[in-house]
Amino acid sequence: MDSSELYAKAHQSHEAELQLDMDVLVGYILQIGVLLSMVLVAAGLLWTRLRSGGLVLNYQITGMNLFEFVVYEVRLALHGMLGPRLLVNLGIIALMLTPFVRVAASVVYFIAVLKNWKYTLFTAFVLTVLAYSLFLR
Amino acid sequence: MVSFELLFPVSVVAGFVGAMSGMGGGVVLIPALTLLGVDIKHAIAVSILSIIATSSGSASAYARDHITNLKVGMFLEMFTIVGAIVGASITIISSTKPLYIAFGAVLLGSWAALLFAGQATWHAGKQDGFTRWLELEGSYPDQALGETISYKARRAYFGAPAMFGAGMIAGLLGIGAGAVKVLIHDLIMGLPPKVSTTTSNLIIGVTALAGTSVYLVAGLIDPGLAAPVVLGVVLGAFLGTRLLVRLTNQAIRRFFLIVLLVLAVEMIVRGIRG
Repeated sequence: MDSSELYAKAHQSHEAELQLDMDVLVGYILQIGVLLSMVLVAAGLLWTRLRSGGLVLNYQITGMNLFEFVVYEVRLALHGMLGPRLLVNLGIIALMLTPFVRVAASVVYFIAVLKNWKYTLFTAFVLTVLAYSLFLR
Repeated sequence: MVSFELLFPVSVVAGFVGAMSGMGGGVVLIPALTLLGVDIKHAIAVSILSIIATSSGSASAYARDHITNLKVGMFLEMFTIVGAIVGASITIISSTKPLYIAFGAVLLGSWAALLFAGQATWHAGKQDGFTRWLELEGSYPDQALGETISYKARRAYFGAPAMFGAGMIAGLLGIGAGAVKVLIHDLIMGLPPKVSTTTSNLIIGVTALAGTSVYLVAGLIDPGLAAPVVLGVVLGAFLGTRLLVRLTNQAIRRFFLIVLLVLAVEMIVRGIRG
């Protein structure tokens, strides 16, 4: 086996190792996102119960896309309008952003670490379509 | 407004049954919610939102165990998300009757899939040039066999358009359509069963997001409904995957076959009667 073959073999296994790291990264993003969202929604429901004695949240989200929704809720939070409704909405936002962040992280990983142009392109396409649907009017 | 005391337990059961049978939560959740008096479009919207949580939750564990094939997932996602956006857009402009009938038809399909489940066996096949170019291959640690299984996918050129269809069903009816995705992975692309179910989980999450965003803009995501349902379905799915092994027991399997058939007929009848 000559040196270039050795290098190729070493490089290949190194690449396989990086691919495994990506599995772990994706796994943690999904887990943290879902956990965060469930905690926020549960806390919101608990707060509703403590405040009104009931568990009914009576309000609608009227025709906002995710980014308008995020801006609206963050503005409420900055004005100190904390309440069960805000927690539940932030929970829904966290849930919707979880797969989005996973895809965004994949794009970065394919560009910067794996340097795989093909999959950079594929994941960038997915990210673009998702971003489009989240900005949809 | 349906009360929390009713929504929460119903959602736990739907999540539990969905995880245990491998059908996903939506198949039971949507008929149950409509029986409680929730409008079918709101039921579809909240179901697809809850699917982001259940599929991402299980996908996280499988990805870290290196069973999921990220490249297969990320290639096929390109097609399912476009399908989901198209499907959800159709639901929004559609009247409710055809939705009931379409849902009933999908339930009948799930019933048939469950009836014939586990009959196909996986065997390695020859890879074509296009699929090789897509780098769709890999290996995973099989704990039951105690060894690493290597595999090469094939026929991605058929898998991709089929996945557009699967995404459209998911967006249209607010279900994961995992059974359809697994079928495509198994029969068309020749992935080993473990890889195909876990990779389908990864795809379902992002597909559900694409559908959810369309329903959000349409004002169909109702937080009063979403909060108890999402929490319930996630809890139920968690219990379902932890407590029980999949449909090995013949009695459980027969029970699900009856439940699916009853729900299917019920949805179709409601669709025809209006």
